[in-house]
Amino acid sequence: MELHGINFLLVLGLPLIGSPLVALAGRRLGRRSGWLALAFPLISTAALLALAGGIGLPTRVVIEWPWVPSLGLGLSFLIDGLSIFFGLVVSVMGSLIVFYAIFYLDKDEEHQGRFYSYLVLFMGAMLGTVFSNHLVLIFIFWELTGIASFLLIGFWHGEADSRVGARQALLVTGSTGLAMFVGLVILHQIFGSASVSELLSGDLSSGKHSVLFTVAMLLVLVGAFGKSAQFPLHFWLPNAMAAPTPVSAYLHSATMVKLGVFLVARLYPVFVDHSWWAPLLGLIAFTTMALGAVLALLSHDLKAILAFSTVSQLGYLIGYYGLGPPDGVEHDYLHILNHVFYKGCLFMVVGIVAHAAGIRDIRQLGGLFPRLPLLGVTTLVAAATMAGIPGTTGFLSKEMMLKEIFEAMRARDELGLYATACVVLTSVVKVAFSVRLFANIFLGKKPEQVKQDFHAPSPWMQLPPVLLAACALLFGLFPGLLDAPFGALAVEGLNRPQHLALWHGFTKELLVSSLVLALGFGLYWLGEKTNWRWHHIPRWLRFDVAFEAGIEVFSKFTKVVTRVLRSDQPLDYLPIIVTFFVLLVGGRLLWQGSGLWGSLALDWGTVQPLRTLAAGLIALAVVGVLFLRRWTAQLISLSVAGFLTCFYFVLYRAPDLALTQILVETVTLIMVLLLLARFPRSAQVGEERRKPVRFRRVFHMLLALSVGGVATVLTLMVTANPHPSPIGRGFLEHTVELAKGSNAVNTILVDFRGFDTLGEITVLVIATLGCLGLLMRYKRTPEEYQQGPHGPPGSGAGEEVRE
Amino acid sequence: MTGPQSYIFKTVARFLFFLVNVFALYLLLRGHNFPGGGFIAGLATAISLILLSLAIGLEELHRVMRFDPVRLAAAGLTLAVVTGAAPMLFDRPFLEHFDMHFSNVPFIGGFHAGTPLVFDVGVYLVVVGVACKIIFALGKSTQRLRALVAEEEARYSSRVEQPIEEEVRTEPEPAQNPTIPDAT
Repeated sequence: MELHGINFLLVLGLPLIGSPLVALAGRRLGRRSGWLALAFPLISTAALLALAGGIGLPTRVVIEWPWVPSLGLGLSFLIDGLSIFFGLVVSVMGSLIVFYAIFYLDKDEEHQGRFYSYLVLFMGAMLGTVFSNHLVLIFIFWELTGIASFLLIGFWHGEADSRVGARQALLVTGSTGLAMFVGLVILHQIFGSASVSELLSGDLSSGKHSVLFTVAMLLVLVGAFGKSAQFPLHFWLPNAMAAPTPVSAYLHSATMVKLGVFLVARLYPVFVDHSWWAPLLGLIAFTTMALGAVLALLSHDLKAILAFSTVSQLGYLIGYYGLGPPDGVEHDYLHILNHVFYKGCLFMVVGIVAHAAGIRDIRQLGGLFPRLPLLGVTTLVAAATMAGIPGTTGFLSKEMMLKEIFEAMRARDELGLYATACVVLTSVVKVAFSVRLFANIFLGKKPEQVKQDFHAPSPWMQLPPVLLAACALLFGLFPGLLDAPFGALAVEGLNRPQHLALWHGFTKELLVSSLVLALGFGLYWLGEKTNWRWHHIPRWLRFDVAFEAGIEVFSKFTKVVTRVLRSDQPLDYLPIIVTFFVLLVGGRLLWQGSGLWGSLALDWGTVQPLRTLAAGLIALAVVGVLFLRRWTAQLISLSVAGFLTCFYFVLYRAPDLALTQILVETVTLIMVLLLLARFPRSAQVGEERRKPVRFRRVFHMLLALSVGGVATVLTLMVTANPHPSPIGRGFLEHTVELAKGSNAVNTILVDFRGFDTLGEITVLVIATLGCLGLLMRYKRTPEEYQQGPHGPPGSGAGEEVRE
Repeated sequence: MTGPQSYIFKTVARFLFFLVNVFALYLLLRGHNFPGGGFIAGLATAISLILLSLAIGLEELHRVMRFDPVRLAAAGLTLAVVTGAAPMLFDRPFLEHFDMHFSNVPFIGGFHAGTPLVFDVGVYLVVVGVACKIIFALGKSTQRLRALVAEEEARYSSRVEQPIEEEVRTEPEPAQNPTIPDAT
């Protein structure tokens, strides 16, 4: 156990600690910080392999450290086949991607330390998500991956595309993540346990029939669909391609977007027998799959093609879980691994091509094979994998999928039929754009622009995609190699590993596969024939545009609301607040009715002359404020009232309060005088008394009188009905014994309520820093304010201009 | 923020500065058992500094003090947090306090002291730093000086923003002198 803990800390803790280190070292290392960052995924991979060997798969091990035991929240991690599989995908891909990025990023690219720091942070967050055993922990790491993705998409934040893409990704994945959090909390409520391992192994039949269970499932699925870009939330993924290519290859195809798939797999045994599971997942995921494939065919940008095909493949994976039988699916690891192989490879290839030729539009590329022979072969293999040509893992994946849906067609009538139609359609389209991707980049004749701009990429950069393509080919030709690892990684209730073979005989699947290939090539030929003229994404399928419009409308709406409610003068807000107080508290007091007046009976015999004198003087000073004309005089009069209050405290034998009151009053007076002298208007015009309109005066007077009345009644009521057990008495009694001090006020401040005091002084310091920042703010002249280029401050208008 | 230009006031203010601070120290040390404490003592020290600034002027005071009061506040906060966190090193709860009894100390006799006093010193420093910084910055700005010296500006604001005082300077002189009206 101890050894596993250390191993696991190397897997997860090291990247999380290392991320800020890379950022710090990046300033000095510059371009070389990539080599430092490369250490983290490599160590994680090694430690993960050691861990997998150490625990003796296929067992399930939980590693736990206490964190917030009072909330039942522990750093609890579940190590089983599924998490190790995903962990390995994340760390191995991480190594390849960091290696690739070292050569991908330009020499003069700035902030490389930051880039690698985000990458390492993302990897840590990913590993955290897949290994979390606690539902809340899953959520925390889940959102951390979203934040890292936001930072990485927006890495080139000088470009508007990056900013829009980053914002969309954050909004969609962040808000759906919150929905998922609610779902996870409900799960916790229903089953009384937040531990995934207990949910998976425990008896859940008691809670499964409640409506809440359905709600929880729907909410969790919303989170999964948002992260995995399922219809109708698929639009953020193609826009996330504004990120640097290594990021797209890593986050937005190989790992992060698979978190939705992971979550579905993780909770598969919990949800699978729900009657809505199959229809819901099937409908949404297969729709996404078909839609994504069609959109990929309609796109021209290399990264957009791959992005939409990723959307399609994510639908494929989630749909596969949707149709699975209750005792577990067979080939989910194969499908995921297959996608990692070819999509990671293709993304890197596209990055290299765009880097070398400077073009990302497939219509302007061509004839690169003689210049990039190695890359051409790699792409051929990867595209063949995507198309599902025999000899690659893609073929195996497609065969198994077809087998699955033929079974499903027998088991579930309409849904199975729909799934079959979608899968066949998708496969045909996929073949077409796979062929297009290879043929239109590498074959044909070379356009003039490519000839001019081409510069050869570093051979090292081509290593990671070559490795991935080689894996796709190796495991495609010898699928038996996968039997042992998949068998070891199988998780009870989720997987039923089966033997994989290249040749299954002349089956129905093979027939369909061949037909699909023929049709796909036909579709490509048709496209070439018509010169891809019909290729553009129709407006009604541009969900991202609609989303941006929605955001725009929302921000306009908030601006309107702000303009209506906002005022420049605090004087306009004060009556609203005070009126509310009077109506609420005064109304409540009146509601109480007769009991009120009884408690207000005064006992004139207890009136003490000295106290009455002090109170009378205070009242006099306050009245003075009303009748004095200059604001300095008013202020001083008000502060006289404050000093007289000290006198009152002394009469009540509260020396601490009196001392504090004197000093606070002094400092406040100085500060308010300075502030008033500083305001431009009083500074320039001097003391000027504003003459309010009569109606306003009467209204304010009434308001002031009623506040005074309510406060008086409240005070009298409280003194008439003292609290039966005031808290102060306990402090007074225990101050010497517990806090070793006889001044209870001070022992409360530093000992009993020391934490409050600590919070207060922290707030003081923060507020001071804020004040200093405000003192520095650029103040606009009235002309600038009204018709300046920036619009009113805070309205957000003209933000672009400022840059 | 200038006081009356009188020799008597200046001399008395300097004298009072020490007197008030001795009083503040007294308040701080006795706080645990008698009326007093870090907050009150901090305010007293802040007031003494304000008084001194009235006597010798803010710029002169800045020269004499040589450091940014915000650092004082930061040091105080650090001290309080460290006092609170230190027991955690020994597996005790956050902010647990300890005390010792000293007997036969020359001139004083026996007395109690403990970590609450250290915590209180933290509070004292925060209050002094915060009150002084805000009041000095405001005071300077009413005197048509920059609220913060150039090196501080970089510390407290973003580089794109302009300090407000620069704008005031470029304006034509208003008719009236915008300082606080003095008693004179």
